[in-house]
Amino acid sequence: MNTIFFSVLAIFSLFVFMNLGKIKASKKQTDRDDRINRFGSRKARGNQKKTHSTIIEGEAEVIDDEDKK
Amino acid sequence: MSRHSAINRFGRSSNPAFSRGFEGHTESLPLSERMTLDGAVNKTGILLALCFSGAAIGWNIPALMFPAAIVGFILAMVTIFRSKEKAGSTAPLYALSQGIFLGGITLMYENMFDGIAIQAIGLTFGILASLLVCYKSGLIKPTENFRLMIAAGIGGIFILYMVSFIMSFFGSGISLLSPTNGSLMSIGLSLGIVCFASLSLVLDFDFIEQGAEDGLPKYMEWYGAFSLMVTLIWLYLEILRLLSKMRSR
Repeated sequence: MNTIFFSVLAIFSLFVFMNLGKIKASKKQTDRDDRINRFGSRKARGNQKKTHSTIIEGEAEVIDDEDKK
Repeated sequence: MSRHSAINRFGRSSNPAFSRGFEGHTESLPLSERMTLDGAVNKTGILLALCFSGAAIGWNIPALMFPAAIVGFILAMVTIFRSKEKAGSTAPLYALSQGIFLGGITLMYENMFDGIAIQAIGLTFGILASLLVCYKSGLIKPTENFRLMIAAGIGGIFILYMVSFIMSFFGSGISLLSPTNGSLMSIGLSLGIVCFASLSLVLDFDFIEQGAEDGLPKYMEWYGAFSLMVTLIWLYLEILRLLSKMRSR
């Protein structure tokens, strides 16, 4: 009984590996900021955000107290 | 160094083994010469089949066990440190020789504890499949900290093995590592080692997944399959040891 159980477990697990292994991992796994950067192809999203300008472009206006009135 | 190149540099992994030789190279490769998930899994299947064939030889001719272990170790070192490009020829030979070694050592354990081999095989593949499900679904997420933790743990285990190996030359050894030591401390240590070996599988899955995403050269399919085999063989040996300790109680 013991032998049959572990044999079935081994065969079923191999079947799962051979089929599931060929499927791409879920977005939850692949679209992460903290993913290991193995081959240097991923840039940290935090670094990309830092390069964006925080200055709002537009014409400067002088606000007087009289305008408020 | 310009500002952007500094950002690029510090955004990358510091490990040179994983970043060397691939940047800018993979984009020029045609699709048929890039690593795929299918290819890596199929090659793992081939290596597993070779390992089982070798195990059948080792089971029937146990005298080949130690020469095969030495050949397997040399082939592993060559594949890791000398030529990843030649993994297509060294990895099958590695699987075959390690299979012979595993066949011999499994026979030794089987003579001591009846039915232990099939239990260890079932548990090894069970762990492989369940961790693959956890990885693919995003339940376990390998990060740099996760990798550091595994690397530190494996480093500690390696030192323990080396100390035990050196002590064996003087007719001694670390009793906690003995397969017949059924104490709770010894079983706990084995359980810890099995945990680290199992979690190393997650890093192997991630390596193959990222390699396929980044379109690494085709030979990296063999290298990914080889790294998975190394971890699986280690895991199998540790499960054998753990089961024999539990049976010795």
